[in-house]
Amino acid sequence: MRLACVVHRFGADIAGGSEGHCRLIAEHLAAQHDVTIITTCAKDHITWRNHYPPGESRLGPLRVLRFTVARERELHRFMDLSDRVFADRATAEEQEQWFRENGPDAPELLEHLRQHGAEYDRVLFWSYRYADAYFGLPLVADRSVLVPTAEDDPLIHVDALGRYFALPQGFLFLTPEEETLVASRAPAGKPSAIIGCGLDPVPAAADLSCLDSLGLADRFVLYLGRIDPNKGCQALIRHFQRYVDGGGTVQLVMAGPASMPIPDHPLIRPLGFVDDRVREALLTKARALVMPSPFESLSMVLLEAWNHGLPALVNARCKVLRGQVERADGGLYYGNTIEFIAGLDYLLDHPAEARHLGRQGLAYVDREYRWPIVMQKIEALLLAFE
Amino acid sequence: MTETKVRVDAVMSEIERDVRARLRRHLIKRGGAADYQDEAIFDAVHAVLARAVDERNLDATLLPELIDGDVDWRLQTHLKLTTHRSGLAGRCMLFAKNTVLLPMTRWLFEYSQDNFRRQDHLNRILFACIEELALENARLRRDITSASVGKPV
Repeated sequence: MRLACVVHRFGADIAGGSEGHCRLIAEHLAAQHDVTIITTCAKDHITWRNHYPPGESRLGPLRVLRFTVARERELHRFMDLSDRVFADRATAEEQEQWFRENGPDAPELLEHLRQHGAEYDRVLFWSYRYADAYFGLPLVADRSVLVPTAEDDPLIHVDALGRYFALPQGFLFLTPEEETLVASRAPAGKPSAIIGCGLDPVPAAADLSCLDSLGLADRFVLYLGRIDPNKGCQALIRHFQRYVDGGGTVQLVMAGPASMPIPDHPLIRPLGFVDDRVREALLTKARALVMPSPFESLSMVLLEAWNHGLPALVNARCKVLRGQVERADGGLYYGNTIEFIAGLDYLLDHPAEARHLGRQGLAYVDREYRWPIVMQKIEALLLAFE
Repeated sequence: MTETKVRVDAVMSEIERDVRARLRRHLIKRGGAADYQDEAIFDAVHAVLARAVDERNLDATLLPELIDGDVDWRLQTHLKLTTHRSGLAGRCMLFAKNTVLLPMTRWLFEYSQDNFRRQDHLNRILFACIEELALENARLRRDITSASVGKPV
C-alpha cells in the first residue's frame, strides 16, 4: 500500500511523544509499505518556527515531505483563546479559530493533501489537536485513519469535535482509556484498534559506569521526561519535599530538559537532557519510576521502565496511568501527598515486592507491546475498510 | 517454581487504609472534628468527599446551572479588552488598549492568572462536594421513607 503519515513535526532529533510514536510506527510500516511522512519545517513545538528545509528528503526507509509554516504561533492570543474555549464559553467560530491558533499553520501541506491525497491508499493523522490533522483529515476523510492521542483534558469536550470524530474511517488508540474518551464523542461502529506502542526487548546488561560522574546516591527514584509544570513536576517536587521533611532519604533524579525552576535541594538531582546510554543506565539502576503527569494518552516512559523491570509510582488522577498500572500490576498510584509518601515508602521498604511489581510490568510489555503484536493490529486496521 | 503474584489492588487497599488511619490521627491531633474519634464516621466522611473530588465530572454539576442566572459565577481567567464606544472612536480606543495598555498590564494579569485558575478549580470542587452531600441526603431520605412504609407513626 501507499501510505501517508501526517504529523505536525518530524525528525530523528525530535523526542516529543506523538512525533516519536509516529516515527516508530512509520519505520515499522515501511518494512511492508511505501511510506511518506507529510510534515512541516518546524522543530520547536511552541513557536512552530521553520527549521528544516522545505521539500523532499529521506530519513532511513521513509520519504519525508516538508512544508513551510506560514506564521509562528502568537502565544498570548492563543492562551487567551484557550481560556475561553476550555471554559466552555467559546462560539463555534472561536473553537475553529483555536485549532488555527494552535497551529502549525501550513497551507501548502493542506494543499498537498487536497491535490495529491487520492494518490495514497491510506492517510494516517497523528494528534487531532494540531491544525495539520484537524484541517487536513477532512480533505482525505475517505481514506483516513486517526491516531487521536487524546487526553482527558478540557479540549476533548469541545463541540466541534463531535463532527470531526465522525470523519475518519478508522482509529488507532493508545490505551483503552483513550478509546473510551473518544468513543463518547465518535459514532459507534468505526473500525479501531488499541495499539499502544511497540518496544524491543532490552539488550544485555547496561553499562552503569556512565553514572559514576553524575553524583547520584546509591538509592534513587527516577523521573524521566520533560520537566514541566504541565507534566506534574511542580506537584512531584512538592510531594517529594514533604516526603523528605518526614525523614525520607531516597534521592529524586530528574532527567530531562527543564522548562521550570528546580529547587536547589540536596536530595533532588536534576540532570538535564540525557543520552540513550545514560537513560538505559538510569532505568537499570533506579529503585522506581515516578510519573506525576495528570494528562497522558500513553506513557512511553512507563512502558520503557517496565521493559527494564522497574516498578512505577504514578499519578492516580491520570486515568491512563492508573489503568496501565492496574492492568500490568506493575506499580502503585497516588492521589495526594500522603498517598505519594505511603506509596514511595512501600516500594522502598518492600524491595522484593517492588521487584516483583517491576517483573509483572515486564510481563505485561511482553504480552501487549512487542512490535509483532502491535504491527499485526495496525495491518488489520488498514485492511478493515475499503 | 511459579512466583506468587503481587496484586496492585490488594497493596493499594492496604496503603489506602493506612493513609486514612494516619490522616484521621493527624486531624484529631490538630483539633479536627470530635466525631473523627469514631473510625467508621471518619471513613464515611472520607468516602463522600473523595467521591466528589475523584469521581465526579466537575463540568456536570447541578448547582452552577441553578445559579447561572443574572450573575456569571465563573472566574474570568482570559483577557479580552472591550469598549462601550462604537464606530471609529471605538476601534481607535480598542487599538490603543491592545497596543499600549495591554502590553503594559499583561504581566500583572499573568501574575494573578494562576491563582484565579486555582480558585476556579476549587469552586468547582466545592460545588461537587455540596452536590455529593445533597445526593447522600436524598438517598438517606428515600431509604428512611421506604423503611417506614407500613410502620405506625
